[in-house]
Amino acid sequence: MRNRFSGSMISVAIAVLAIGVVVSVSTSAQAPVPAQVMKTPWGDADLQGIWTDETTTPLQRSPRYANQEFFTEEQRTDLDKQRSELLGRNKRVERGTELDVAGAYNAEFVSVKRTGLRTSMVVDPPHGRIPPRTPEAEKIMAADREYRLALLQATETCKTKSVACNGGKYDPKPSARRADLPPRYNTARMNRFDGPEDGALPDRCLTMGLPEFGANAGSFRRIVQTPGAISIFYDVGQGQGWQRNIVMDGRPHLPTGIRQWYGDSRGHWEGNTLVIDVTNFSPKTDFQGSRENLHLVERWTRTDANTLEYEVTIEDPTVWTRPWTAKQEFTQQNGKENRIYYEPRCNEGNYGLPGLMRGARTEEAAFAEGKGPHPATKDIATDFVGVEDNPLE
Amino acid sequence: MRPPYVLSLVVVAMAAAAVGAVVTMSVTQSPVQAQAARPAAIDGKPNFSGIWQANNEANWDLEAHAARPAAVTQPGVYPYDYARVPAAPVLALGAAGAVPGSLGVVQGDGQIPYKPEALAIKQQNAANWIDRDPELKCYLPGTPRAMYMPHPFQITQSTNKIHLAFAYSNTARTIHLDEVEGPPDNTWMGHSVGRWEGETLVVDVTNFNDRAWFDRAGNFHSDALHLTERYTMMSPDVLWYEVTIEDPNVYTRPWTIAMPLYRRMEPNMQLLEFRCNEFAEEFMYGNLRKEQLVKRWEGETMTIDITRKVPPGDAFYDYYSK
Repeated sequence: MRNRFSGSMISVAIAVLAIGVVVSVSTSAQAPVPAQVMKTPWGDADLQGIWTDETTTPLQRSPRYANQEFFTEEQRTDLDKQRSELLGRNKRVERGTELDVAGAYNAEFVSVKRTGLRTSMVVDPPHGRIPPRTPEAEKIMAADREYRLALLQATETCKTKSVACNGGKYDPKPSARRADLPPRYNTARMNRFDGPEDGALPDRCLTMGLPEFGANAGSFRRIVQTPGAISIFYDVGQGQGWQRNIVMDGRPHLPTGIRQWYGDSRGHWEGNTLVIDVTNFSPKTDFQGSRENLHLVERWTRTDANTLEYEVTIEDPTVWTRPWTAKQEFTQQNGKENRIYYEPRCNEGNYGLPGLMRGARTEEAAFAEGKGPHPATKDIATDFVGVEDNPLE
Repeated sequence: MRPPYVLSLVVVAMAAAAVGAVVTMSVTQSPVQAQAARPAAIDGKPNFSGIWQANNEANWDLEAHAARPAAVTQPGVYPYDYARVPAAPVLALGAAGAVPGSLGVVQGDGQIPYKPEALAIKQQNAANWIDRDPELKCYLPGTPRAMYMPHPFQITQSTNKIHLAFAYSNTARTIHLDEVEGPPDNTWMGHSVGRWEGETLVVDVTNFNDRAWFDRAGNFHSDALHLTERYTMMSPDVLWYEVTIEDPNVYTRPWTIAMPLYRRMEPNMQLLEFRCNEFAEEFMYGNLRKEQLVKRWEGETMTIDITRKVPPGDAFYDYYSK
């Protein structure tokens, strides 16, 4: 279960069904409807409905398309073909091995959406790449990476020089660092499962919130408006849905001592654009290395009946040397079909988390009785199978 | 040195006047602003938008009950039900773990009309509250329980949808006023379809699973549950909430609960997160840690030893230990 995203098979099935619907209706995305602003009866721009990004766009631009902001239609067709031919997690290796089991969550669970128009979501800096990190942030990231590599050092992963061990080295002796705390609050998978906190946040049904770009399974959001307030429910992470209620009356952000997983959203209208300022993130969140100092300015603009443009400026002076901006286009989904999954049921169906801990305790007991290998020689953190070159990255 | 003193008094008086002005503004304007931003009607219908919360004991027990020392009790020195004492799992909470009394919210004779076999399950549920109540594991609360949990929720009312966002664990409902297909599977919170009957919003809620409870007393339903909710504005800040509960698997007849929901009037009110699945991790998985953190797990069993240490210098204990 290395690649368990979360939740029950039922939620997975629903998510897959929802994606199936998306793929089948995706033709409307490019129809050049004249920009006619749709208004609510009380005069605000109307952003309501169920929205999703029907295409796949990498966050950062591949060096292959360095000076190109948009793909040509030929490139998109070609990339679609290449991507649909990737075996991904359907690739099997020697049956019954650690490597084979790692692919159990196979490609059935991840639909391939059409390649998007843009070569990257990042539109600023203009070269489509996230700006360099500050030296302090680099230091923190390096310490974290070093710790994770130490936990892998006695495994086959490092012995066979897998890419997952890049920067580390093989040493048959288990690292003494296995007894240490990670350098800071853990949010990602590591080769140890002493307790729940050793799991990645999605393993704990604590998938993060913003910015929500939709991972490989995609994401849906429903917006409901009323005069002076807006609610957005996000259907993400197969049963890890969450919601935000945008405060629109101009009051200041929450006191700095109050930190939240999804931050604190303050919105206002600039013409027909909804602008939301988000701060007060919890130090337990992590977006590309940014935690409690993350500051977002989101701009939501409906450009036609079927299209909602989302632009977010991402700032954290403790992590990046300058702010940067990413853009996505969401397409209106069929309201009558109502294919959005509202129940954050990940926690209710989370057999994976106790399973990972039970497995670790079982291996420790077997080793103590001389019936199994040292647990440090096994790798429960790495996703080996299906990690192939993505032509978009 | 009188002149400087007089001068400083003047400055203080000016500062006080300025502060006074600010305070007056914030006191008088905030509710007015809030009112202006929230019209009384949306599309000609009463506007329920805002943050609401029940102020009652329904989440403890829908039925009438006297206050009791704890949600989990054990026999005391007398063999009577009314003389039980708090049991170990909640003892450390002291009086904060006690259950407040209530006249109940079940209409008519105040009793939930259980079938005999269902009543037996309810009683088992109550006796196994810690193991069985979904709330302790931070599972979804179900409907109607979400409406009267001790957490606020926000209504965002539009013309075709009314969204209910609950502070508890990202729980959500959307009441559909327009045509919509049902969900592909049953749900904790149900599928809500609403219509207006005059000034009252009537909501039909179906497609339930059989896992949610109504309260901490073990009251439950099956997947045949069907709710008819009625929301009526009693005054700008009080919403009357009534729900008729039908489930032929569990009850002999439909029954109804009713209660007021109150607007949270604080000018700075907003929903804060209550992402409790993190809070329940130790409760649910503490036994699987490599090294026990809270020393109370043996295999699958939670055992509780309570050691109370009196903080040194505690005046009350010092007095009695003399």
